[in-house]
Amino acid sequence: MPLSSLAPAVLLAAAVIALLRPGRRPKPIPAIAEGAALAALALCLAGATRFAFQGAGNDGPLLRLDVVNALVAPAVAFIGWVVTRYSRTYLDGAAREGRFHALMLTALGLVLLQVQAGSLALLVPALAAIGLVLRQLLLFFPDRAPARRAAAKFTLVWGAGDAALILATGLLWLAYGTMDIATIEAAARTAPLSPAAQGAAGLLVLAALLKTAAFPLHGWLTEVMEAPTPVSALLHAGIINSGGLLLIRLAWLVQASPGAMAALVMLGGFMALFGALVMLTQSAVKTALAWSTVAQMGFMLLQCGLGLWPVAMLHILAHSLYKAHAFLSSGGAIGAVQATRRPGPVATPGLGAVIRAFLLALALYGLAAVGFTLLAGPKSPQALALGLILVSGVAYLVAQGLADAAPRALTQRTLVASTAVTLSYFGLQALAVHAAGGTLPAPPVAGALEWALIGLTVTSFCAVAVAQALFPHWAHHPAAAGLRVHIANGFYLNAAFDRLIGGFRTVRS
Amino acid sequence: MFHDQLDIAPAPAKALFAAAEAAMRAIPPAFPLDATVAVNPFLGQTGEDLAQAAARLARVAGVRLTRDRQDYAAMIAAGEITAGDLAAALAACPHAAKPADVAALTALARQGQPAPQALPTIADLAARATGTDWPAIINRCVGLCAAGHFDRGQALWTPAPGSSAFTAWREWATHDLTPELAGLTGFCRHVANCPDTPGRALLRAAAALNLTAEAAVTTFHRLLIDLGGWAQHARWLQWRAELAGESDGTLADLLAIRLVWEEALLAHVPAVAPAWAEVLAAHARPVAPDADLVADTILQQAAEMAYQRGLDTVLRGAGAAAPQDRPVMQAAFCIDVRSEPFRRALESLDTGIGTLGFAGFFGLPVDHQPAASDLREARLPVLLPPLLRSGVPLAPVQDRQRRIAARSARALGRFRQAAVSSFAFVESAGPLYAVKLLRDALGLGRARGTDPAPAFTPALPADVKAATAAQVLKAMSLTQGHARLVLLIGHGATLHNNPHHSAYHCGACGGHQGDVSARLLAGLLNDPETRAGLPAHGVELPADTLFLAGLHDTVTDRVTLYTDGAGRDHEADIRRARDWLERAGRQVRLERATRLPGASAASLPARAYNWAEIRPEWGLAGCAAFVAAPRAVTASGDLKGRAFLHSYDWRSDRDFATLELILTAPVVVASWISLQYYGSAVAPALFGGGDKLIHNVTAGIGVVEGNGGMLRTGLPWQAVHDGERLAHAPLRLSVLVEAPRHAIAEVLARHDQVRALFDNGWLTLFALEHGRIAARWHRDTGWDEAGLARAA
Repeated sequence: MPLSSLAPAVLLAAAVIALLRPGRRPKPIPAIAEGAALAALALCLAGATRFAFQGAGNDGPLLRLDVVNALVAPAVAFIGWVVTRYSRTYLDGAAREGRFHALMLTALGLVLLQVQAGSLALLVPALAAIGLVLRQLLLFFPDRAPARRAAAKFTLVWGAGDAALILATGLLWLAYGTMDIATIEAAARTAPLSPAAQGAAGLLVLAALLKTAAFPLHGWLTEVMEAPTPVSALLHAGIINSGGLLLIRLAWLVQASPGAMAALVMLGGFMALFGALVMLTQSAVKTALAWSTVAQMGFMLLQCGLGLWPVAMLHILAHSLYKAHAFLSSGGAIGAVQATRRPGPVATPGLGAVIRAFLLALALYGLAAVGFTLLAGPKSPQALALGLILVSGVAYLVAQGLADAAPRALTQRTLVASTAVTLSYFGLQALAVHAAGGTLPAPPVAGALEWALIGLTVTSFCAVAVAQALFPHWAHHPAAAGLRVHIANGFYLNAAFDRLIGGFRTVRS
Repeated sequence: MFHDQLDIAPAPAKALFAAAEAAMRAIPPAFPLDATVAVNPFLGQTGEDLAQAAARLARVAGVRLTRDRQDYAAMIAAGEITAGDLAAALAACPHAAKPADVAALTALARQGQPAPQALPTIADLAARATGTDWPAIINRCVGLCAAGHFDRGQALWTPAPGSSAFTAWREWATHDLTPELAGLTGFCRHVANCPDTPGRALLRAAAALNLTAEAAVTTFHRLLIDLGGWAQHARWLQWRAELAGESDGTLADLLAIRLVWEEALLAHVPAVAPAWAEVLAAHARPVAPDADLVADTILQQAAEMAYQRGLDTVLRGAGAAAPQDRPVMQAAFCIDVRSEPFRRALESLDTGIGTLGFAGFFGLPVDHQPAASDLREARLPVLLPPLLRSGVPLAPVQDRQRRIAARSARALGRFRQAAVSSFAFVESAGPLYAVKLLRDALGLGRARGTDPAPAFTPALPADVKAATAAQVLKAMSLTQGHARLVLLIGHGATLHNNPHHSAYHCGACGGHQGDVSARLLAGLLNDPETRAGLPAHGVELPADTLFLAGLHDTVTDRVTLYTDGAGRDHEADIRRARDWLERAGRQVRLERATRLPGASAASLPARAYNWAEIRPEWGLAGCAAFVAAPRAVTASGDLKGRAFLHSYDWRSDRDFATLELILTAPVVVASWISLQYYGSAVAPALFGGGDKLIHNVTAGIGVVEGNGGMLRTGLPWQAVHDGERLAHAPLRLSVLVEAPRHAIAEVLARHDQVRALFDNGWLTLFALEHGRIAARWHRDTGWDEAGLARAA
C-alpha cells in the first residue's frame, strides 16, 4: 500500500468529522480541514518519492502508482492544501461553513482517488461522486436562481459524461474482459482494436469532452462563479482536468483509434481558439478566467489528439497551478486594472513591427529547436507544429516591445522575457517527455490525415495570432462591432442550451 | 439629460422629462472601487423623512429601511430602549398614522411587520404570465453590454470608445440574439426601429406604456432601481461632470434602454395590459407611509434616542480643563472613527500628549499624481473640487525605470491574456505559479518601499504657502500652544486581494491613503518661507516646533513616521514618539481584537497580508456620533471607536467661518458614511455590496455577484455583519457641536441642504455647553431643551 493512496482516506475521514458540525464557526473543523489537506499533500509527496525510486506498479486491484499520478497527485494535493487554507479564512462566519469544509474535503479526496485509480471500477464511481459533491457546492447559496440554473446545467452535462464513461467501461469489459487500466493499455499497445474497443475509444473521447466542459456544452463552466471562490479554484485546477487525465491514462487505447484522435484535434483546436476569442471580450474577471479554462482545456485536448501526451500532462499541471492562483487572487483585479492604466497608453505595433516580431520569434524558435534537438533528440512533426503555435504566441510579446512608440529599454525587456519563455517552454517539454519515458505513446507517424490536421491547426492558430497582434488596428472598426457582440455572447451556444433545457424559465424557490 | 428634446417638446413630454429628471436624482452615485468613498444612499431622499423615503423605496425597490421589528422588541425587552425613549420618539413623529400611545407602539414592535413588495415592472408581469424569467434575461443582456461599455481595461477587447451608452447599446442590442433565443422574437428589429436619441426613445416607450406624468416618477425610479449599480455608476458620471461644471447623459441613456425593453415586452405579452394599468394607477398615487412604516421609523428613532442617552452619560464626566503647560507632543489624526481608540490609547501614555482631530486631507484639496503614473488621484473629500496639484519629485531616471518596469509587467499581462499567446504563457510560466501560490498562501514577501516626500506642483509662492498654512491651522484650531513635535497622522489600510480595498482608506482623501496629504502639510509647515509669513496671518509657531507626517495603518495599528527633513535636534523627540505610537498601537489591537471574530491582538497584523481575509478590520462600522468640540470634552470618556471627533474651539473662531466649514463639509461627509453603513445594514439587497464569497470583479470599477448581471454597490455583507449579528448597529448619526446655538442656527439658515439633513432626521443635532448636551435641534421649533429633558 503506497502512502499516497492513504491521502483520500485522510481527507474523507476529515470530511466526516466536519459533517458533525455543519454550521457557522465550527471550531476546530477549519483547522482540521487544513491539517488533513497538509497530511494529504505529505502523503502524495511520499508516493511520488516512492515512484522515483521504485517505478510504476499496481497497488491492489484498484489503485496504481505511475508517472502520471506521481506528478499530478502532489500538484492536486498542493492546490488542495492552498484552497483549504484559503477557505479557512474566507468562509469564516458563513452560515454553512462546516458543511462547506466537508464538501470541499470530500471533493478533494475524490479527485485524489480518481487520479490514483488503477481501475475503471474505481475511476468511474469516483467521477460520478465528484459530480454529486460539486453540485452541492454549486448550490452553496441555494436561494440564488442563477446558482440553481448552473447546477442543473452542470448535472446534465456531468451526468452525460458519466453515462458515456459507463458505456465505454462496458465495451472495454467486452473487448478485454477487465477494467484494469494497465491491462487494457498493455493490450491496446500490442494488438489492433476490436470494434468494441474502437467504440470504447470514441466513448472515452466523448466522456472526456463532457468532463472538460468542451464546446458546445461548455456553458456550465462559465456559470459556476455562483459558488464561493475556493470552489472555482478547485474546480478549474483539479476537477476539470479529470477528462484530460482519463485520456492520458488510456493513451495507448485512444491513440489506436485515428478517428478519436482526429476528433480531439479538431474539437480541441476549435475550442481553444473559440474560448480564447470569447475570453478577450469578457469584462468580469472570473468569467474571463472560466473562458480561459475552456480555451486551455481545448488546447490540452488538441495536444492529446496530436499524440503529444507528455506535453498534455505538462499542460494540465501548469494550467492547474496558474488557474488556482488566478481565481484565488481575483479580488485584486481592481488594483490590477489600475496598475495597467498607470504607465499611460499601450504602444501599439504596426504591420511592420508585427512582421519583424514574427520573424524574430521564428528565429528564436529555430535556435531553441535546434538546440533542444541536439540535446534531447529529434522532434516529431506534431511537436514542431506545437512549437510554431508557441512562436505565434511569443511573437505577440515581441511585437509589444517592437512597437514604434516603445522605448528601447522596454524592447530589451520584452526580448529577454521572450527568450526566457521560449527556453522555459522547450525545457519543460523536454522534462515532461523525459519523465514520461516509454509509459506514454509517442506521437503517431504522420499520414495524410495527420498532416492535414497539423496543417489546419498551425494555419488557424497563426492566423488568429496575427489577427491578435494587429488587434488595435481593427478591433474598434464598425464592421467588427457586430462580431464582438456575437463573440461576447459565446456565439449563443449557452443561450441555445438554456432554451433547450428551460434555463430561461422562472425558478421557483 | 434630454437636452436635445427639451426646447421643442410639448407640455406632456416636458412633464415626462421632468419626471425622468426627478427619478434620476433619486438614484445615489456610486464611486468606482479604485477610489471609492461612502455615499449617502438616500441622497435623493434627503428632502423627505425616513418614513416617507421608506414608503418610496418600498414601492420602487421592495426594501425596508429599518431593522426587523424583533430587533427593536429585543432591545425594548432588554431595557436598552426605555419607555422614555419610546415616548420621546413617538412625540417627535410628525405623521398622522402613528400609534396612539407607547403601549400600542410596544405591541406593534412585538408583531412582525409585512415584507414590502415593489410594484412590478412589465418584465415582472410578463414573467408571471409566460413563465419566462424576463427580469433575469434583462439582467444578463443589459449587464453584459454595460460591463463592456463601462470597462476600464479588464477585457482586452472592449467596444469602440466614444459613443454614448444609448448608441453603444443600440449597436449591441441590434446584434445580440439572446433575447430572440429566449423567445422575444423581433427584439433586434424593435431596437433597430427605435428612435436614435434617448429622449425620443423614452417618449415613444412612455406612450406605448400609457405613462402619465403622475405615474412616471416612481415608474422611472423603479426601472432605474432594476439596473442596480450600473444606474448608480451612471449617476456618478453625472455627479463628476456636474462638479466640473459639465453634464452627462449616461443615466438618461440607461433609463431609455430599460424603457425600450418594457415597450418590447408589452408588445410581446399584450395580455399583461390590464395588470399594468393597475400598476400605473398605484404609481400615480402619492407616496405616503402606512401605519406600519411609521411605527418602524418611530422604533428606529427610539433606538437612536437610547444611544444618545448613553452618549450623554459618557460626556457627563467631561470638562476637565486642558493642561496649561506646553504639551510634550501633539498628534493630529483624521476624524475617522478608527482614530478615536488610537487617540485615547496615545493620551493614556503621558499626560503631556495632546491629540486633535481634523479631516484627513488636512485641508489641502490636492489633485495628486503618484510616481511613474499618468493617472491623477483626487485626494480630497468628493464634495470639493481640487484646488492644488502635487506630485512625487522622482529623479527622471528612476521615473523612467519604474515606468519601464510597469510597462514590461503590462506586456507580460497582455501576453497572458491574449488569444494564442495565453497557451504559450501557461506552458512556459504556469509552473512558476506554484511559488506564487505558496507565497500567497503563507502571506509572505509583501514589503513595499516608501516614495520620496510629495511636493506641490508647481511649487507654491511664499505668500500662498503662509496663507494656506494659516488657513489650515485655524481650521484645525491649532493656532497656539504648539509642542516641540507635532505629528500629522493620516490613515490607510494595508490589505490584499480585496476588491473593496479603497473603502477602508481615508474617505476625506477621496478613498486613498492619507500619507500624501499629511506629508504635504508637514512639508508646508516646516518650510522656512511658510514660517516667515505666518505671523502676518496672526499665527505664531515656536521655532523649535517640528511637524512630522505619519500613516496609521488601520489593519495593523502601526504608525509609519515620515522623517523627511527632520533635524538632529528632534532625534530624541522622534524616538520617544515612535515608542509611544508602538505602545498605543498595542493597546488598540487589544481593544479591537475583542470585536473581530476569531482575532487576537497578536494575529491582527497578519490580516493585512492574508489574501483570503474578508474582514480585515471593521472599517467605520459602528459609527454613530460626530463631536465638534475641544478634545477636553471627550477626552475622559470611552467612545468605543464609534465617534468622529473634530477639534473645534468656537472661542477662537471669530466669524464662525470654521463652524460653517465643519457643518457643511466634515458633517456632511460623516453623514454619507453613517448612512451608507445604515443602508448596507438595513437594506443589503438594495444598498449592500452583496456577499464577498461570490464577488466577481467587473469592468475595473465594481463587483457583481456570481455569474454577472447587475453591479453591486455599497458595503459587502461581511463588512457590516460578523456572521452572527450586525457589526454595525444601524443608527443615524448624532451630531454634537460645542458652539453658541445662534451661531449654529445661522449656519443652517444659510445652507438649506444641510438643514434638510437635520430637519428630516437623517442626522440629529445637539448643541453642547461646557461639554454637556444642552439642546436638541427640532425642525419646527429650532433649539429645544424640553425635549432633551425627556430624552435624558
